Amino acid sequence: MDYGVITFTSTYGAIYAQKVLKEVAPVQVMPVLREISLGCGIAVRFQPEDLEEMRAALAASTLKEGEYAFYAITGSGKDLTAQPL
Amino acid sequence: MSYLVDAKGKPCPTPVIMAKKAMAEGHDTFTVLVDNPTAVENLKRLADSQGFAVAVREEGGTYALDFAKGEGCSACEEAVNSPLPTGGDWAVFVGRDIIGDGDRELGTNLMRMFFYTLAQGEDKPGAVLFMNAGVKLPTLDEQVADHLKVLNDAGTEILVCGTCLNFYGLTDQLKVGAVSNMYDIVTRMQKAGKVISL
Repeated sequence: MDYGVITFTSTYGAIYAQKVLKEVAPVQVMPVLREISLGCGIAVRFQPEDLEEMRAALAASTLKEGEYAFYAITGSGKDLTAQPL
Repeated sequence: MSYLVDAKGKPCPTPVIMAKKAMAEGHDTFTVLVDNPTAVENLKRLADSQGFAVAVREEGGTYALDFAKGEGCSACEEAVNSPLPTGGDWAVFVGRDIIGDGDRELGTNLMRMFFYTLAQGEDKPGAVLFMNAGVKLPTLDEQVADHLKVLNDAGTEILVCGTCLNFYGLTDQLKVGAVSNMYDIVTRMQKAGKVISL
């Protein structure tokens, strides 16, 4: 995994999650990759080592399971692969 | 002793106008005196764009810039006239800190995603130009500043309106790019094949 991505089923969820997650570790906002079809256009990118903190923070938030999904991203351009976590 | 242009104490963009006047009058070598680093950077860019070589001397807070027309340096003229090495010849003008009208939070997210996409893409712009509230992005927005650094390293010029930085009290907080002025920004727009305004 080069980096991790979290997608959301709603734009509100994506904006709310950023506030929760940036307290835990550095995150960036990015457009949802074309390789991932789920949900709205805003995704959150994080460093692989922060995966467990990200999961814990979202589990403790008001977002429900099923309103977000984690992906491991490897490679870039044509060689990019997105693996659900 | 070459022709002397004393622009000490003159506010931006007066030193650049005075230097341009010296060029227009046909002086191939001349010296410009200024007293602030921003003016030095602006004059260096003017020299580059007009095919002049420039040497800077500093003495007690006064900067003397010796301009010399690049004689016989065909490589320099070629470099000045040739298209930009990366990104093709297009520019992005950013006059605000969010994309579109409506919700500020959504607009902030869209702006960050825009620069994320730009920094990741193959076809990078030749220049990104910031004015008015747009100057809050290369100063206060950590994520956008990171993307701008990537663009800058890949050869994209980042020009930030100095008047606007001053107005918002952000001059000391510029994280990436060059403090610029209306002359440089308009010239850069005119040089670009297309300008995308946000």
